[in-house]
Amino acid sequence: MAIAALRMMFHGKLKMIGTLFGVVFAVILSNQQAGTFLGLMQKSTMLIDNAGADIWLAPQGTMQVQAGGILPITAAARARVTPGVQWSEPLIFAGATVKRPDGGTEGVSVIGVKWPAGKGGPWNVVSGDKNALGDPDTMVFEDSQRDKYGGMNLGSVREVNGRAVRAGAFTWGLVPFGPSYAFAEYDLARLISRTDSDRTHFVLVGVEPGKDPKQVAEALRAQVPEAVVYTKAEFKRSSIMFVLTRTAIGITFGTATLFGLIVGFVIVSLTMFSSVIDNLREFGTLKAIGGTTGDIAVLLLVQSVMYASMGSVLGLAVVSLMANGIRSAQMALNLSAPLFGATVILMLLLCIFASTLSMLRIRKLEPAMVFR
Amino acid sequence: MSQAILAKSVTKTFGTGPLAFQALKGVDFHMHEGELVMLAGPSGSGKTTLLSILGCVLGATSGKVTLFGEEITGLPESAMPKLRLSYIGFVFQGHNLISSLTAEENVSFQLQLRGFGLKESRNEALRLLERVGLGDKAERKPEELSGGQRQRVAIARAVAGAPPLILADEPTASLDAKSGLSVTEMLRELAKERGHTVLVVTHDSRIFHLADRLVHMEDGQFVEMSS
Repeated sequence: MAIAALRMMFHGKLKMIGTLFGVVFAVILSNQQAGTFLGLMQKSTMLIDNAGADIWLAPQGTMQVQAGGILPITAAARARVTPGVQWSEPLIFAGATVKRPDGGTEGVSVIGVKWPAGKGGPWNVVSGDKNALGDPDTMVFEDSQRDKYGGMNLGSVREVNGRAVRAGAFTWGLVPFGPSYAFAEYDLARLISRTDSDRTHFVLVGVEPGKDPKQVAEALRAQVPEAVVYTKAEFKRSSIMFVLTRTAIGITFGTATLFGLIVGFVIVSLTMFSSVIDNLREFGTLKAIGGTTGDIAVLLLVQSVMYASMGSVLGLAVVSLMANGIRSAQMALNLSAPLFGATVILMLLLCIFASTLSMLRIRKLEPAMVFR
Repeated sequence: MSQAILAKSVTKTFGTGPLAFQALKGVDFHMHEGELVMLAGPSGSGKTTLLSILGCVLGATSGKVTLFGEEITGLPESAMPKLRLSYIGFVFQGHNLISSLTAEENVSFQLQLRGFGLKESRNEALRLLERVGLGDKAERKPEELSGGQRQRVAIARAVAGAPPLILADEPTASLDAKSGLSVTEMLRELAKERGHTVLVVTHDSRIFHLADRLVHMEDGQFVEMSS
């Protein structure tokens, strides 16, 4: 049956190409949208992923890493003496402007970290030395924004919120939804952001080896009641939920992904159905010579699996090439093995479901038609 | 000889109400095992309808049909494919081979439906194609064969798995005289040498002499039977 299914499939080459086109289209569009969406989600949580903290203490009302709220600096000290806590460090996170040599300005998110502990970054340093952060009035900027900052190079001096700083190193790809990240030593960042010395924006906490971050977080909630306490996983989830529920990104990408799947489904359904209609007499013959509707269902199932497999491989190859072609610091498709696996399963379901239209026609087919 | 087919008072009506059309009007028919019977008559006389009922692809409106002692009338639709596989091989007017399959695959496909394994069915298909003189064309697809050769592949497929009854619907209609005669002689050989019961629906008077019995139908009834 499998051989017959494959022979019939490859015999109608145009129909096969049409069906494969439908699968490939669905794979490309859904993966491009889902990959972009996941990439943006990754961008929105990259500071949480790379800060090195197991637990975040944030001002009340904080749902993601955002500027605005403040905590007393004593929160860091109180956190440090909480059972299960190995270390705690304050973190500055504030908006600022970089003044270009031509007089214009460019937005930047300043992250102030205690040095040399370096909890909170920088990471992915592509030029210069991140230890330059320990030098006076030195910052680490985003490499992809150098042109925006007026042709910035290592050693270039720019005013950030009116304070002259030197570029000591460059990171790559640290561009979230908003302005790109720029790192400074904690006190420099505090001065740039005009944050009082008894205030901070976040407190990062590391737990002792073997301790459960959830239990330590519970203890911290009692110890620092003015802060909202998130484990790393909770803060990531909260950030993603914030983006999904407070912005149109989730709906936009979700709709486009669904649209791709629907269009692919329609193409696959119609071409498979059209192929069955073209070969109706042959299917009638199969029934007349003793084949059951179940036998023909197996035949269509084999074809569906083949279409899904071939279409997925082709589509994923194309989308991988696309991803490499459009990769930039601002945008990166997050194409992962789980996404690819989910795509193949989704395409299998799509093709099998699409073949049901054909099966309905086959079920009604009377074998006596071969005598007409 | 044992009875292969026994049909009593078989009627078939298509449609209902004023548009109803009675294709068979109380037909009585029988065939013995190993017999070759030809069913002739003008278009619309009910030949193909009778063939379809005997072939378990169409149900009778009333009457009783028995194949090799098993009554088939009144059986549910779902039982029909198994009956067709057990008893019947078909030769269609337009050969009805699967165009994407080779001659060997067309025959072995039928064998696989009849429960043969993959390798076993291939070997048997090649043997049957040898028998119908197409051993050297086993790898060809239907479009690469002549009309007569296609019909011979269809015969090989019909006898694959040795069903006791072969039903042939106008098997010579699309063939020239020589090929038509050759195909019918092959059907006769099957009846006489291998004991298949063969019922041929045909208009073709050039092959009538090969029948054991010739039955004429007109207007849904038998009008003449000759040996």
